[in-house]
Amino acid sequence: MKRLLIIFISAASMMIPLSCADQLDINRNPLLASKADPNAVLPFAIVQYSNRTTTEIGTRMVDVYQHASATFNSPRAGGGAAGGFLSSNQWGMLYAIVLPNLTLVEKDARAAGESNNNVAAIAITLKALAFLDATSLFGDIPFSQALNATEFPQPEYDAQEDVLRGIVAMLDEAMDLIDAMPATGNFNVTQGDLIYGGNMTNWRAFANSLKIRVLMLLRNKDTSVDAQITTALNEPYISSNTQAAMLRYPGTTGNQNAWLQIVTAFGTGSNETTNYFGPSPVMRDLLEGDPRLQLYCVDGTAGNYAESEIGVFPTNAEARYSNNLIRGNLPDIWLLPAEITFYRAELVAKGAFAGDANALYRQAVTETLQFWGQTIPGAQQTLTTGQITTFVTGLPDINPLTQAQQLVAIGEQQYLATFWCPIVSWNHVRRTKIPDIQAAAPGSTITTMLKRLLYSPVERAANINTPNDVLTDVPMWFEN
Amino acid sequence: MRKILLLIFCCSFLFANAQERTISGRVTSAEDGSTLPGVNVLLKGTAVGTVTDSNGEYRLSVSETTGTLVFSFIGFQSLEVAINERSTIDAVLGADVTQLSEVVVTALGVEKQSRELGYGISGIKSEDLTVSREANILNALQGKVTGVTITQSSGNLGGSTKIIVRGVSSLSGRNNPLWVVDGMPINDAQDNTTSRITGNRDFAGGSAVINPDDVESINVLKGAAATALYGSRAAAGVIVVTTKKGKSKQGRATVTVNSSVRFDNLFRIPEYQNEYAGGANFKYDSTATAANWGPRIVGQEVTELGTGDRVALQVYKDNYKDFYRTDRTLINNIAFSDGNDKGDYRLSITSLNQLGILPNAELDRLTTSFNAGMKHSDKLKSRFGIQYISTQSQGTGVAGANDPNVFGLVGFVRSTNFKNFKPWIDENGNQLGFAGALDNNPFWIQHENKNERNDERFLGNFETTYSPIQELNFTARIGYDFDQDNRLITNRVGTRSRATGDFTIDKINRKQLNVDLIATYFKDFGSNLNLKVLGGFNYNKRGLSAETLFSQSLSIPELFNPSNALSNVPTRAFAEQVLFGGYGEASLSYKEWATLSITGRNDWTSTLPADNRSYFYPSASLAVVVTDALGMKSKVLNYGKLRASLAQVGNDTNPYQLDFNFIPVAVATGQYSLNQNFPFNGRLGFQAQNRIPPTNLLPERQTTFEVGAELQFLDSRLTLDVSYFNSSNKNQILAVPVPQSTGFATQTLNVGEVVQEGVEISLEAKVINSKNFKWNSIVNFTHNESTVKSLTEGTERILIASEFNNIQVVAVPGREFQLFTTTYLSDPVSGRPIINPANGLRQSGPVATRGSVMPDFTMGFVNSFSYKGFTLSGTIDWRSGGLIHSATVQYLWIAGDAAETAVNRGGTFIDTYGVLANGDGTFRENDIPVRSAQTFWNNLAPGGAADATIFDASFAKLRELGLSYTVPQHILGTRFVKQLQVGVEGRNIALLYAKVPHIDPEANLFGAGADGFGVERAAVPSTRSIGFNVRLTF
Repeated sequence: MKRLLIIFISAASMMIPLSCADQLDINRNPLLASKADPNAVLPFAIVQYSNRTTTEIGTRMVDVYQHASATFNSPRAGGGAAGGFLSSNQWGMLYAIVLPNLTLVEKDARAAGESNNNVAAIAITLKALAFLDATSLFGDIPFSQALNATEFPQPEYDAQEDVLRGIVAMLDEAMDLIDAMPATGNFNVTQGDLIYGGNMTNWRAFANSLKIRVLMLLRNKDTSVDAQITTALNEPYISSNTQAAMLRYPGTTGNQNAWLQIVTAFGTGSNETTNYFGPSPVMRDLLEGDPRLQLYCVDGTAGNYAESEIGVFPTNAEARYSNNLIRGNLPDIWLLPAEITFYRAELVAKGAFAGDANALYRQAVTETLQFWGQTIPGAQQTLTTGQITTFVTGLPDINPLTQAQQLVAIGEQQYLATFWCPIVSWNHVRRTKIPDIQAAAPGSTITTMLKRLLYSPVERAANINTPNDVLTDVPMWFEN
Repeated sequence: MRKILLLIFCCSFLFANAQERTISGRVTSAEDGSTLPGVNVLLKGTAVGTVTDSNGEYRLSVSETTGTLVFSFIGFQSLEVAINERSTIDAVLGADVTQLSEVVVTALGVEKQSRELGYGISGIKSEDLTVSREANILNALQGKVTGVTITQSSGNLGGSTKIIVRGVSSLSGRNNPLWVVDGMPINDAQDNTTSRITGNRDFAGGSAVINPDDVESINVLKGAAATALYGSRAAAGVIVVTTKKGKSKQGRATVTVNSSVRFDNLFRIPEYQNEYAGGANFKYDSTATAANWGPRIVGQEVTELGTGDRVALQVYKDNYKDFYRTDRTLINNIAFSDGNDKGDYRLSITSLNQLGILPNAELDRLTTSFNAGMKHSDKLKSRFGIQYISTQSQGTGVAGANDPNVFGLVGFVRSTNFKNFKPWIDENGNQLGFAGALDNNPFWIQHENKNERNDERFLGNFETTYSPIQELNFTARIGYDFDQDNRLITNRVGTRSRATGDFTIDKINRKQLNVDLIATYFKDFGSNLNLKVLGGFNYNKRGLSAETLFSQSLSIPELFNPSNALSNVPTRAFAEQVLFGGYGEASLSYKEWATLSITGRNDWTSTLPADNRSYFYPSASLAVVVTDALGMKSKVLNYGKLRASLAQVGNDTNPYQLDFNFIPVAVATGQYSLNQNFPFNGRLGFQAQNRIPPTNLLPERQTTFEVGAELQFLDSRLTLDVSYFNSSNKNQILAVPVPQSTGFATQTLNVGEVVQEGVEISLEAKVINSKNFKWNSIVNFTHNESTVKSLTEGTERILIASEFNNIQVVAVPGREFQLFTTTYLSDPVSGRPIINPANGLRQSGPVATRGSVMPDFTMGFVNSFSYKGFTLSGTIDWRSGGLIHSATVQYLWIAGDAAETAVNRGGTFIDTYGVLANGDGTFRENDIPVRSAQTFWNNLAPGGAADATIFDASFAKLRELGLSYTVPQHILGTRFVKQLQVGVEGRNIALLYAKVPHIDPEANLFGAGADGFGVERAAVPSTRSIGFNVRLTF
């Protein structure tokens, strides 16, 4: 009988490993990595940034700056809807996902020396873009103390003006790093750079253009930045549609732009039949006689591209955005050359710079139509050069107009040029008040159009330095 | 660790055999004189013992010393007989009506006299579990045990039920008790394939496979003192399940057949309005799917959806009945069992076949259970058991939102005839029926989209006990739990909002190996003092591996092959953890009326840092039978025991919490799950984790103090059991939110403290106890307050669980778990909402906590009446307090479905609960009309303000009602059938009281796995059941 016991206990002890310590040293997840290549981290940061921004600030807020008439769960009426998950999702994406990953990429690249300047510069430029988004949505934000958990476990908030100036400094630094790149032996970031495939000339132009965008916000309050604008305009910026900064969505299943995904997930897969997104009254008015009306919209049964009121989804009777716009391979557009050309026209109109405002205005409109009608990847409908020339030729000469009239003409076309670029559009209407969509949306709890989002409740719960929320119709610092 | 093994191994040869003699005898029942097989016969103060055979006979070798035999059997009073010079000792056991010396199963399977226990244990016997048999055994415990809260998530077949023991003590979701079956800890995880809020398929947790027909008893070990020997994993309580063993009846093998058929239908149907048709703004719309704002029905003729016929506009009052059907469940069990002095076995096969209330919902479970024991000699015995449980289910309903398969009670537009939605598919695979561009024919959802689960579970254990000398025995026990859980979730091509078709294949594998080596030593010091020492070693290894494939855009609709999909996203998960434990217990008894037990356990875990992976925790408990100690012979108080304990349990954490890692990314997320897959355009994606890893993580510590009393009055006609406990759970291991502006979302730390205080009272009365008529009544009362004492500095609250629309369950210092949401802008004095004078509507205000989601108290009332062969039993379950947010109610309002939305539809609609601000801090009654009733009901949640749909979750239910009849032997008149019992059984018979309208107050979105109490969203409605049962013993 003892034999049986011996056999059993021996068998039992065989099931228990010889060394307890070895058995206990298993606490490392075999499916995770302790380090990662920037060519794998950058694609994640770029795609996550683009997709989250498109789904929150795009598909939910396109009716705030009124490129479309209505959205689901829109914050246009202010109050709690301009906070909650909308804020926490976007804030969390920027601060807890995209910015820290870019910071790690930057840190590793700096540690690797000059040969990685290109990687560091890309990371810093993308961080600048993310901080610009954050301040554009929330106003004052953690900036100088952000992303440094060891030193600043409770980051303080910086004033929007300081953030904007800090972003300019970041972009200068990115450009300095690019200028200091060795002639050869640079890190190959072709795979990770989904925007320019490692072309650092384009990255430098993009960084400089972003800098101009930020300086134009600062200029609204402080014209002393004109000197910096002059310097920037004397350096290369994005001046051709082929240099446009955008994330190209492959459009294949699983990699479709979220604008199509939302009509696929909840609708028929076509906005033309699902009837989610249609032009707002202001869009419809501005597109009258413009070939972009047919490029962007399908007409409704009521004819004449009748629009829907703000807060109302289109029906078959009204115009809806077409499958040429709401499509899987629609790029997420970050910066177009027309934006800079419009700034130049605006600066001339304001007398800050010498030049021909009318010529710049026409150039900018032409660049916009060329982008949407010709250059944009994956277009189902295009514009001929003749159509573009005819339309631009038909625009009035703005030089004889008063300065105020010139600014309206430029501002309205610039509004159309920021089409489907969520944060750029919102900043434009808040900065210039053109077109005039500053009134409160119907049924609103606020007195003007939505000016800001409430701070993320997740950040507020954890950061004692989060300021009290102001009402969502309190203007941004950069607004006049 | 090897040393301990070797020591145990060597010890077994150190003891020489003493001289022995043999005692034999027969044990019979005092009640009917029948022989009793399976009775424990033990030489008092030693490990020497045996079990009576099928004839109730036993043989036991004892040393020549004199001693006392103890005969004990569950349900009978223990009996002690001095051996003296006798070699034959027969024993007659009386039924244990008083439970003065009941044998209960405690930690590690150790059977103890209840009088020795210094802590509270609640037990349930097999007959209480099979009165009205349940697919999920947890449901059968409702109302019957103090100190536990049991909540069935929904009426989903194969769905989950959540159990918590003595409230919530953990902030990190480790509040589910440990399940131990025949000494083997089993996996009770609930794995989710889809998000719990977006398209929630609620598949039951791991304990649901326990088959009520195979259960002999269930004991709930509640306090830390009761669970301390189980170690780290028992901090949230232990449920000890003991399965039935083989027995003979009157010397023969027995065959038991137990068959039930059960019918379920909807337990609670919303009070629908029956005046208005589908549509909006008083205009009829045949395609309306969740909008009953059409015209009042006055005999109009309209075109019908589905058929296109012109029909009279009418309300189809019971149209939900055209969709939900009567659930039919068949439970058939056959068990073969036999035993003698050498061995025993029991083979049981149970088949459960259930057709759910949802069309095409079906669950089939086959449970095969076999256990056998062998007595190799007086010194060595062994036992093994295996259970194989195969469960297939399909047609599981989907809860939550943002999934085309969610279809709930909101969907029944009053003027829509659901009969017209069949057929739901044409010969080309196109969807028929619903005309809305966005909505699916509910029959299509149930028949064409699969929600299948195929779960194969294997539980095995082997145990051997060796007693080299009378005072000492060694037990080695090995258990293995293997679960392969395969799921297939599909959306057929043509499903609206998933038009291109997709499928998810999820293969989840969980394994657990558990080894215990236990040595027990008894020493009787004479002078009424005896000592029992136990020492043991435990090895536990758990593993999870899961592989998930999500495939989109199918070419052939019903082909679930990744090569048939344009996009495939595979993901893997893996986790493994090991725990070693060394434990010991010393119990010193004086005259059997005072027992002091001291335990200690040290664990070594793989999940904590090497420096902190070893931790020790002690417990002490004292039980004093005061009536014996004081020599009381009162009839009024015939038995009184006082008990007290102080115990600590340590707890480790989940694996892989210590490192900083980069995670290969499968998807970049977006709002509404509008995600991007990786590789993206040929690029892989990696992201750094956004959790700051801990630097010096310590184990959690739970300390519990408990006192209690068991008092029996009037010759045990009245039994009162009272417990008071107070516990503190410190050093909780938690991913604490940090400001995201630091670049991280959380930091893993030891933080926070949850304190609990509670009272449990059980009062049992044998109200009438005559020969023919018996009335037993039990009242159970549980009050438990789990208060979050502290979080970490600078943290206002920690999220426990979250639904959409800012409905959250949070931990806030100084309170119980709170429902947290956006509120109305309201008058701070009266709390009434401030109306927007521009439109007459309520407005959203700040976010705030709204109260506890945990009940103030729960009570159970169990009554049974027996007259001759008839037994009538019933359970009423009452829960008081706690909040619930119901999205179903919210949508019944928005859709104009609920009866209250029909009130004053045509007239001037003023929100009379609202107030208007006078501008000087005072308020007046609201007199601003809303545009229409539809506008009012559609805007009751402005900006996500959820106040209107937060309700008191209190309820009282008639939980069970059963009538059974045991046919007397003389009527059977044959020796072939030994027993015949027939019964009618009902569950969830009636909702006696509820404050929340329209829904079952118990519904829960988060299921068994998470701690999201108090949140309901589009749950599959729960059911009321009635069943018939026949039990035959041959």
